[in-house]
Amino acid sequence: MAEAAEQAQEDVKIVAFLCNWCSYAGADLAGVSRMQYPPNVRDIRVMCTGTISPHMVLKTFQEGADGVLIAGCHIGDCHYGKGNYMTAKRFRVIKDLLASLGIDERRIRLEWVSAAEGAKYQETITSFTEQVRAAGKSPLAKAGKR
Amino acid sequence: MKEALQKAVREALESGKAKATVILVEKDGELMPRLVTKPDDPAIDSLYSGDRRYPTASFVVMLQPVITGDIAVPVRECDRRMLFELSKRNQVDLERLVLLGTPCTQEVADACGCDHPFTADDIAIAPSLASPADPLPLPEALQSNDPAEKLAFWMGEFERCIKCMGCRNVCPMCFCNDCALDNLDLVSAESKPPEIPIFHLIRAVDMADRCVDCGMCEAICPAEIPLRQLYRQARQIVKDAFGYEPGVSEEKSPVEMLGEPTELAGMEEGFRTGQIPAE
Ligand code: SF4
Ligand code: SF4
Ligand code: FES
Repeated sequence: MAEAAEQAQEDVKIVAFLCNWCSYAGADLAGVSRMQYPPNVRDIRVMCTGTISPHMVLKTFQEGADGVLIAGCHIGDCHYGKGNYMTAKRFRVIKDLLASLGIDERRIRLEWVSAAEGAKYQETITSFTEQVRAAGKSPLAKAGKR
Repeated sequence: MKEALQKAVREALESGKAKATVILVEKDGELMPRLVTKPDDPAIDSLYSGDRRYPTASFVVMLQPVITGDIAVPVRECDRRMLFELSKRNQVDLERLVLLGTPCTQEVADACGCDHPFTADDIAIAPSLASPADPLPLPEALQSNDPAEKLAFWMGEFERCIKCMGCRNVCPMCFCNDCALDNLDLVSAESKPPEIPIFHLIRAVDMADRCVDCGMCEAICPAEIPLRQLYRQARQIVKDAFGYEPGVSEEKSPVEMLGEPTELAGMEEGFRTGQIPAE
C-alpha cells in the first residue's frame, strides 16, 4: 500500500532520441535561450533518427521509460537524405503494434524539430510530459523483471 | 497422393528439370529433410507425405548456395508463400527451384485455417495463389476495447514463455545470421524465463512484414502462447499502413526499403495524440 502511494508520487520518466543535426541542436538552442521545460526527459543523441531500431524503442519501455519521444529533422531536411523516411515508417509500425497490445498511445511521440526550433522543442517536451503524466506510470516498467 | 508425389520427384530428376530434390523422410518418429539426386534413390520410397509440417524452406535457404542446378521441392501452400517472400529478400532464387505442389488433407487445412491448400492437380507444378488469410476467432480478452484488458491478456500469455527459442528456430522467415534475440544488450542472458514483453515484441515487430502466417511457431510453442494471433496483429498493421502482405504482395516490402515513390505511412507531420501545437 505504502509502496503504491510512493509509486503514484514518483514522476514520469521520458527518454528522447534526438538526431544530432536538427533536434539535438534545437534542444541546445532551447537550453542556451534559457527556455523552461519539465526536467523529466533524458536525451539520447543519435546521428540520425534513421538509426533508431524499433528494438531500441521496445528496450526503452522494458527498462522502465513511461514515454518515448523521437525527434529528427523535418522531412526533406535529413542530413543523410532520407533517414527520417525510415523513421516515419518504423514509427508507424511500432506505435500501432504497441497500441494493438493495449499500450497507451500517449506514451510515444514523433516530432520533426529543426535546429532553429528551440521553442518547438520546449513546447514538445512540455506537452509530451503532461501527456505522459496523464497516462501515468508505464505498466511495462519492469513488469517483465522476474 | 504419396505415389503421385514420388512420381513427380522421380520425373523431375529423370528429365533433368532438377539436379536435386529435397524430400522429407521420417526416422525414429522425427521428420527430416533429405537431399536426393538420383531417381532410383531408395529414400524416395520412404518419402513422407503425412500431415506433419516441416520448415523445408529453411533447408532450401541453406542448400541453394552449395548446389549448382535447379532443386525440386515438394511444397505446401504455406511453403510456397515462404519461398516467395524469401526470394524477395534475396535468400532463395525462385528461378532455380521447381515447386511441386503438395496437397494438404482437409484436417490440416482446417487446423491451419487455410482455405486454399494445393490439390492433387498441383503436384506437377505449384501454381501461385493469392492467400487471403481468414481471421482466426479472437480470444475474448482481445474482443474488448479496453487496452488494460488486452495488455493483461498478452502479459499473461507471455509469462508462460520458457525461452526455448522454438518459435524463432522453426520459423523459415527468421533467416538473419545475427538475431536480435541473441543480442545481450536487448535480451539479457541471465533472465530465463525471458524479460517480457520485449522478448516477444522484438519478434512481433520483425515479423510484421515477413510472417507468412504458416502457424508453425504457434504449433511448436510448448507454452501454447497464441503467437500466430500476435503476428497476425503485426501483419495487419503493415497491411493497413502500406498495403503490404508478406508472401502475397508482388513487390518487395516497403517497410525496410526506401524505394520510389517514398512513403511516410501517414507520419508526414510526426505523431502526437491530442492537440497539435500551434507553431
Ligand atoms: S507463422 Fe510463425 S513460423 Fe510461420 S512465418 Fe509467421 S512467425 Fe514464422
Ligand atoms: S516457442 Fe513459446 S516458449 Fe518457446 S521461446 Fe517461443 S514463445 Fe517462448
Ligand atoms: S539527420 Fe536528422 S533525421 Fe536524419
